[in-house]
Amino acid sequence: MVDSFKFLPRLIAAFYRNQQPLVEGEIPWTPLTKPLSQCKLSLITTAGLYCKDDQPPFDTEREQKEPTWGDASYRSIPTDRSPDQIGLSHLHINPQPILQDLNVVFPIQHLRELAAKGRIGSLAAQAYSFMGYQGFPPNPRAWLETSAPQVAAALHEEGVDGLLLTPV
Amino acid sequence: MLARFFEAQGFATLLITNMPYWAEKIGVPRTLAVEHPFGQPLGKPGDGQRQRQVLLQALTLLEQAQQPGQIWQDETPWEEDLEEAIRNWQPLRPSPIIRYLQPRIRDLIRHKGQFRV
Repeated sequence: MVDSFKFLPRLIAAFYRNQQPLVEGEIPWTPLTKPLSQCKLSLITTAGLYCKDDQPPFDTEREQKEPTWGDASYRSIPTDRSPDQIGLSHLHINPQPILQDLNVVFPIQHLRELAAKGRIGSLAAQAYSFMGYQGFPPNPRAWLETSAPQVAAALHEEGVDGLLLTPV
Repeated sequence: MLARFFEAQGFATLLITNMPYWAEKIGVPRTLAVEHPFGQPLGKPGDGQRQRQVLLQALTLLEQAQQPGQIWQDETPWEEDLEEAIRNWQPLRPSPIIRYLQPRIRDLIRHKGQFRV
């Protein structure tokens, strides 16, 4: 079994173990209705990625001033952008591995190759990034009420069938 | 939380995570668990082979899962000294919330908290 606490500092692990998520309802379920080779896939990460040329970074300045607040906005990342056009704004991880090789969290290049080989039908034109820190106590509702519905609408518009999610 | 939301919106989702603990507690449609430090769910920079391996497993689970809640475990060990790996994934400067909570961390650990998903 993967040890979920292996890489957490001891005190943080202890804190997490005491947290209980209040979950309502069954696990949602959308089966794939066609083979993966006919599906359009997109990618959603929480690494705080943004397009350097035309988008602002996530608001880490405000988070510095208000540590219990996290930026709930999202960025739409065209999947034809090259890695050097993509920046990262996230105060809770070391960005270096991602800046060295975007594939460690945003494997667009690999997905494009898999689409070319027919393993997947196609890679969507847009992928998405959120920024994982959502305040303290954690408030994922901000995502669910604001950005996530907008991303869902955009994904529907593009005819996306499946999503890979790569949190940090 | 995002996986549940997007699944409910009509997308087949696959979560790649190093904390299957949360996936199990929250109830995630399809999960691939990898024992990686935070920030590198696909693998190390430059390790295309491992990245592709993780991705292909993810796609296989996406394709094969027949009911919600499956968690596939990839127990491939992370090749790095553990103490270094724990240090290396963390930001150079502790995050604002860590600095803010530092004086209160022991009280917080004793407090059993709940948060709505």
